[in-house]
Amino acid sequence: MTELQNIEIPTTENKSFGAKYREFMDKPVTRGVLPVVGLLIIIALFAILTGGKIIQPFNISLLLSQTYMLMIAATGVFLIMTMGCLDFSQGSMLAIASIVICYLSTYSLPLAILGGMVTGGAIGAINGFFLVKRKMPSFIVTICTMFLFRGLCAYLTTNSPVYAIGDINKYNTMTIELTLTAIVLLLVYLLFHFTKLGSNLKAIGAGETGARFAGIKVEKTKLLVYIAAGMITGFAAFINVIKVGSVTSTSGNMMETQILIALVLGGLPISGGAKVRFTNVIVGVLTYKILSTGLVMMGFTTQMQQLIEGVIFLIVVAIFSDRKSIQVIK
Amino acid sequence: MSLKESTQKPKTNKFVNNYLGIILLLLLVAVIWAIFKILAPGNFGSPDKMLSYLQSSLIYAVGGCGLYFICVMGLFDFSIGANVVLSSILACVFAQKFGYAGLILVPIICGTLIGLLNGIVYIKLHIPSMIVTVGLALIYESLSVFATQGQEQILQSANCAFGTYPANLILALCAFFLTALIIKYTKIGTYTYAIGSNEYVAKNMGVSVNKYKVVAFVLCGFFVGVMSILTISYGTSMTAASSLSSMGRNFTPLMGTFFGLAFRKYGKPITAIVIGEFIISMIFNGFVAIGAPSTVQNVVTGAALLLIVMVTTKPVKGIVVK
Amino acid sequence: MEEVILRAENVNKSFGITHAVKDVTLPFNKGEIRGLIGENGSGKSTLMSMLLGIYSIDSGKFILDGKELNVNNQVEANRNGVSIIVQEMGTLSGLTVAENIFLGNEDRFVKFGIKNTTAMNREAQALLDKYGFNRIDATMMIDNYDFEDRKLIEIVKATYFDPKVLVIDETTTALSQSGRDELYKHMNRIRDEGNTVIFISHDLAEVIKYTNSISVLRDGVLIDTVQSSDVTEDDLKKLMVGRVLDDRYYRTDYGEAVSDDVVLSVKNVSVPGEIKNMSFELHKGEILGIGGLSECGMHEVGKAVFGASYDRTGEVTLADGTPINSITTAIKHSIAYASKDRDNESLVINDSISDNICLPSMDSLRVNNILLNKHLNEFANKYAKLISVKMVDVNQFVSDLSGGNKQKVVLARWIGKNSDIVVLDSPTRGIDVKVKADIYALMSEMKKQGKSIIVISEEIMELLGMCDRILVMKDGALSGEFMRSPTLTEEDFIAKMV
Repeated sequence: MTELQNIEIPTTENKSFGAKYREFMDKPVTRGVLPVVGLLIIIALFAILTGGKIIQPFNISLLLSQTYMLMIAATGVFLIMTMGCLDFSQGSMLAIASIVICYLSTYSLPLAILGGMVTGGAIGAINGFFLVKRKMPSFIVTICTMFLFRGLCAYLTTNSPVYAIGDINKYNTMTIELTLTAIVLLLVYLLFHFTKLGSNLKAIGAGETGARFAGIKVEKTKLLVYIAAGMITGFAAFINVIKVGSVTSTSGNMMETQILIALVLGGLPISGGAKVRFTNVIVGVLTYKILSTGLVMMGFTTQMQQLIEGVIFLIVVAIFSDRKSIQVIK
Repeated sequence: MSLKESTQKPKTNKFVNNYLGIILLLLLVAVIWAIFKILAPGNFGSPDKMLSYLQSSLIYAVGGCGLYFICVMGLFDFSIGANVVLSSILACVFAQKFGYAGLILVPIICGTLIGLLNGIVYIKLHIPSMIVTVGLALIYESLSVFATQGQEQILQSANCAFGTYPANLILALCAFFLTALIIKYTKIGTYTYAIGSNEYVAKNMGVSVNKYKVVAFVLCGFFVGVMSILTISYGTSMTAASSLSSMGRNFTPLMGTFFGLAFRKYGKPITAIVIGEFIISMIFNGFVAIGAPSTVQNVVTGAALLLIVMVTTKPVKGIVVK
Repeated sequence: MEEVILRAENVNKSFGITHAVKDVTLPFNKGEIRGLIGENGSGKSTLMSMLLGIYSIDSGKFILDGKELNVNNQVEANRNGVSIIVQEMGTLSGLTVAENIFLGNEDRFVKFGIKNTTAMNREAQALLDKYGFNRIDATMMIDNYDFEDRKLIEIVKATYFDPKVLVIDETTTALSQSGRDELYKHMNRIRDEGNTVIFISHDLAEVIKYTNSISVLRDGVLIDTVQSSDVTEDDLKKLMVGRVLDDRYYRTDYGEAVSDDVVLSVKNVSVPGEIKNMSFELHKGEILGIGGLSECGMHEVGKAVFGASYDRTGEVTLADGTPINSITTAIKHSIAYASKDRDNESLVINDSISDNICLPSMDSLRVNNILLNKHLNEFANKYAKLISVKMVDVNQFVSDLSGGNKQKVVLARWIGKNSDIVVLDSPTRGIDVKVKADIYALMSEMKKQGKSIIVISEEIMELLGMCDRILVMKDGALSGEFMRSPTLTEEDFIAKMV
């Protein structure tokens, strides 16, 4: 037709349930508040189901100690997903970066941290290159690099795990880890909210062509974000090495899926865009960690946990999906 | 716009067009063969070895055919790995009691049902297919652990006829033939391409888009079920998967599918899938022949798919890619 | 023979706030070619879309051959004897010619689930031969054929089942003369066989020549139906526009001199398939119009000036010699662009009004290198209020706004950026009269402030009314230039356009 392909918006008063539901979900308040409500419900639920065990101080600090790595890596993926892209290579990236950190830790700690971040950034650059220059969809590119680097990690740990310097464990304290995590969170939050980074990423996710015509350097931004996310994950690898002290062939396994589930639980729309909020990261990771720890505490087998997580994942993605902005879903 | 000359399409072009793709692929086969033959003359490329490369490639090609329906539409299915695992395990279990009847029927039914579930969940949830199928893969994997209680499932040798020639070749050929038939001689084929070309226009032309998307998922599941028969017969055992370890099984069939998509314009996608899988099988075995450790396999897989997708997709200026 | 075959009865359609079709009642007779004309936004395409089941009808109905028409998509419409040839691509790539012709109607070739492809191909080829297109091979992939051949195949697809009503929606503009002749031939054939053709076109001469009667729509309302033999183009234009140049609407000044200072220079610019060696200059404080048929390349010129053209050769330079080769350079050097594709290019509609207005100005909105939401909202509010955007607040998403208000947001963005060179492509398309007037007033205001404006438009009256100088393009190249003058008429313009 010669005129614009108008989106049909229902104008009558008696809207269907589906339309009312979508209107409710479209309110910005909903997306901010609902995940927090979800978090509180989950805490309450598991507090009851585990007979109060989960909220005991010991368990809380244990839970937190397992959260830092995920929280840090999730901020990087948050930036990527705001643009509407994906990254399935985070776990393998963490593994390789951890290997580099372990190796360099015998020389000097700052060097090790730097090495980890550079490694992560390099892998991120590879991801970004194929996405931006060759215009290949990010999920294909990152699934390939995930597999590739997983294989590399397996090769490097064939005979034995890679060990860091023996006394690395001395840094495994809550103070250090919590501080580092808080710094990363704060840094990314400040960048996202108080510089044009946040608006640019949201615009790219909401309408890439429109973003380009508004003067945003889309290609450069995508590449830089992938590199940045890689560096952030490289930093998360440092936390990993501090805690575990070594790297095996399965290090970081499934981390990308955990991050994805966490962000979705936090209310992040799967296609990114203007409705994302930084709180998606914090609320999401906490919710996910409590969910998975709670399931363990309740004595579920690992396969039962996976089943429940899979079902919850699908349900929550559907709830928080930004229907209005996705016209054709593939 | 200025006057255009009427486009003459001589009939001779058609013949060359039809077989050009195949010629290119066969050329590629020869080149790859030559490379690895030079690098590892003793371990690679003898006739009986080539037959064994063909065997494993047939298995993946069947899966590739199923995935083809999905990918043509622009969708993705990352649950086929978990599908293979679950269907193979159930095949073992039922083969013990019902012999070949169980071995053949059960994985096909299981695979098809999984495909149906994929399609329905995708349609109802309104979220991208890759996300839906990753989520469902988690669920199928956990089901596979439930079904086996962690124990490895072994297929008795009495039931392993589909692990060797000629049974596996016959089954695979049937699958290929069926795929080609559906594409060329049914509405499903036409509508699948139509939806892949422009979903909005197709819908306007009366194509029931949601219905045919579900059909594509069902077909994919069906062929993955057939692939499971071949997989379990060839490998004789299967353990349950968890933590998305089944993702590895998605790759090789997907590579074949990309060959099929790339060579579609030459008119023979199925042949392209089969030859493509053969090339990949040669590459894997070639690396083994030159002494590369088994862990390198994954590196090769990841790099190979990356390369194949890169070569088969053209970057168009201004297009939005996420 | 004045038998009515199709009747639209009190048909209404709204898109959000926009009431696109207002209570239209319109009969069509058997055995006639009816022209359906109106400006952009008149509702003619929307009306036809409802007939074909592409859009749902808000209220009212269509009665075909005495029975109410109830269809949900094109194929159902076809089965009822109504069909359409669209302006854009109406065939699907990746399918063969035969598959395209029979898409949605394969069932008669299908037995026990198997499609008799050979029979289908055979019948498709027979049809092509019957239409005189035997050089087209029904078994080939349709991608092998160019746009014009694909349109011919669309003619077959739309008419082989002898539809009672055939709608031709602005198809002729994209066709060569030989393509149009084919179309006219089939239009006449269908009419002579006792069926009906509804012919939509912007080319008034063509409409008068090939139709029996003409219905005119304006702003969603049916104005009148006249006999083609009784009217001239001027008569039609009066009906379409409703008033002769309303001077409250456009500029009223004439003879005001434009500065000689060149702010932008376009030299030998070509874009393959769109623009051929285009050169012109823009002066300070000038409103320069570019007009022509929709495919003449003028829209691409707008993109080229903004640095958004791919594969552009030639030079676009500012007065100080700076070359403009990318969007970011253009924006940095104070060039603004409002695209014809408002929803996808001019705006990020799934984002807030505030973000949309602030995006190009982000750098200058920093206070101590920090961007505060407070400042962003203040900035957005200031400019949104300046041109009266009808909104709840600046955090509302642009997707909720009407077409006119969306365009206001676009303008607010560039006024906020204080751009000196503003390229407006189809600035008042699909916008109601009151907002149009606001936009024209804005343009005059910007000119007074010394900004230079390029207006690209398919609405000739708009160009005649607002511009100091108008360039006419045809087939990608410059074909004429007019200075602002009260005696300049549409005819002068159209002569250079076609």
